[in-house]
Amino acid sequence: MRILLIEDEVKLSGFIKRGLVAERYAVDVAKDGRSGLELAQTYQYDLILLDLMLPGMDGSDVLRRIRKENSSVPVLILSARDTVQDKVTNMETGADDYLTKPFAFAELLVRIKALMRRGPVNRASTIRISDLELDRLSQQVKRGGQRIELTAKEYALLEYLMSNAGRVLSRNMIIEHVWDQSFDGITNIVDVYIRHLRNKVDTGHDSKLLKTVRGVGYTIREGAEA
Amino acid sequence: MNFHSLRLRMAAWYAGVLAICLIAFGGSVYLGLARYLDSTLRSSLRSEAQSIGEKLLVDVNRKGEKFVTGEINEMAPETSGRFIRVTRQDGTKLYESPAPVNQMFIPAKIPILRSWGPRPFSLEDASSGPPVVLIEAVPFVAPEGNSFLIQVGASSRDIRSVLHGLLLTLALGMPLIIAGAAVGGILVMRRALHPLDEITRTAETITSRNFGERLPVIRTGDEIERLTTSLNRMMVRLEDSFQHISRFSADVSHELRTPLTILRGELESLAQFEHLSPATLEVVGSALEEIARLTQIVNQLLEISRLEAGQATKEIGFVNLGELAISTAEQMRLLADEKSIRLEYLVSSEVTVVGSASLLRQVVVNLLDNAIKYTSKEGSVELLVETRGPKAVLEVRDNGIGIPSDSLPHICERFYRADKARTRHSGGAGLGLSIVKSICAAQGGELSIFSSEGEGTRVRIEMPRTNGKTQIANEETAHAYLHLER
Repeated sequence: MRILLIEDEVKLSGFIKRGLVAERYAVDVAKDGRSGLELAQTYQYDLILLDLMLPGMDGSDVLRRIRKENSSVPVLILSARDTVQDKVTNMETGADDYLTKPFAFAELLVRIKALMRRGPVNRASTIRISDLELDRLSQQVKRGGQRIELTAKEYALLEYLMSNAGRVLSRNMIIEHVWDQSFDGITNIVDVYIRHLRNKVDTGHDSKLLKTVRGVGYTIREGAEA
Repeated sequence: MNFHSLRLRMAAWYAGVLAICLIAFGGSVYLGLARYLDSTLRSSLRSEAQSIGEKLLVDVNRKGEKFVTGEINEMAPETSGRFIRVTRQDGTKLYESPAPVNQMFIPAKIPILRSWGPRPFSLEDASSGPPVVLIEAVPFVAPEGNSFLIQVGASSRDIRSVLHGLLLTLALGMPLIIAGAAVGGILVMRRALHPLDEITRTAETITSRNFGERLPVIRTGDEIERLTTSLNRMMVRLEDSFQHISRFSADVSHELRTPLTILRGELESLAQFEHLSPATLEVVGSALEEIARLTQIVNQLLEISRLEAGQATKEIGFVNLGELAISTAEQMRLLADEKSIRLEYLVSSEVTVVGSASLLRQVVVNLLDNAIKYTSKEGSVELLVETRGPKAVLEVRDNGIGIPSDSLPHICERFYRADKARTRHSGGAGLGLSIVKSICAAQGGELSIFSSEGEGTRVRIEMPRTNGKTQIANEETAHAYLHLER
């Protein structure tokens, strides 16, 4: 899987590339719009990550040129501009997704995988992690065969964590997914719900599945500490 | 039809003034003519009376009374419709004309005068019913010394019928003239106001999206042209400041968010992919938390500046405020449960406003978050949604720690904290209420805060209510509606 990253901030492209390489992607980096467009026209990419504010040629222009050539390569915009207007304009030009800076790397990964249809999201009707089992059809959760009663929010939270098992999800991603943007910025809603979920899921069991990665977010996975 | 429209009001004023002028004019013409006709008739009656005296009565002693009465009869007063009577000094009739052929009066019924002064005088007689008989009386003293009173009269019928005709013409003509003038006035006003219509139509199509457009300037050299040019100048200034703010907020976004993205990315990859000691991990985690806080502050500041610039072009539509409030509060219930705070709803379901659901949800979230944060364990928080006259009211009440009265005026200022030490570790940047205030302002609402320290706080938002029956076709009309409601 080959990804083209068009981003002028060297440091930014540096860590994105490192992270993606660690996830076994091949990554090419272009530092400005023109050379990015050349690369996109020359090689067959599976995905393009595109910054909007670029020297030489604006990201939106690059996108327009790519789409003009009838290329259907998925394009994910990475931008500091977060107005609805910006998003709408670029989605209309042909972007497939739009991610606002600063983003959690985990979120970038989730979206990349979604775009490349490799299914980061486990759509199976039952998800199992260790002895924890979640049934999407009946919306039931069991641990070691014992049924756990969850509220609707707790269920949504657990389902989100479990379908991204092993990946650290930021508070922001959780809020946007389980609540919505309006709840962003209030004190500790995610922490409170995680604490309650932890009480119901992990208390009384030797292996603790819900894990906190300080400063980054929460994850659910088997085994010892992160 | 709109009876308050400038066009109709102007036409009504115009017609009213015209009516007053016409009535004054008609009245004076009528009175003037009546006096003129009256005096003309009387003066001819008087001169006839005088000529009877000077030409006939002068010779009464010489030629005898028979001669005089014969001479007067020769004048055929009955065919000319005249009343003539000559009275002797002792009040006996010397002569009286027979009844006229037109039967307008009966001479015998007109009372006989027994005494008179030396001067001519006027009188009128109503004995034969209207029309009255106008009579001129002239005393005459013959050269021999015996005196007579000569009375010559005529019916006022002709005068009356002329005046009546005039009155009829005025009464029929004036309303016609006024109605014609009013209709003409409306047409003229419509023509005159047509450029204003044009201006309004264009102004309404100009929104934040096509700020580049200008009103067509009609070169009339008058108020209309001045109005359009000054509106256009105003739009240039608005466009400038609008673009300035957009550019600024885009620049700030880029300049602040890029380094934050790098910091966050680098530290995250350090925390996740390197094998760090727990102590180092702790430090990295703490740095990441501060980056998250900084990110939040940047986001909120940008949101406030966009709201204040009126750029919050989020979806606008009908919002059921009660439903929105409850569904939002339910998603936060656990926060209240954590502190054993009673969360109660006093919500009417029929409160609809025009606004952005996501912004209004943000208001509810921020207010409830504050209320729960500043209420101690086992306190209570109430969420109230109701209608008060034309307003929709959303209120959050708590019995928490309250706000000191000296802080109350500043509580909505950015970064203001009533109690620095206490609130610092409850998180947030002190921007929650600033955002609520900006959202209120952007949605045409009003924010008021009542609080007493130690007893609790009430935060109230009042917005124009709509009955939700009007169908709003698109976002643009909804925006216009929002402005009207404001």
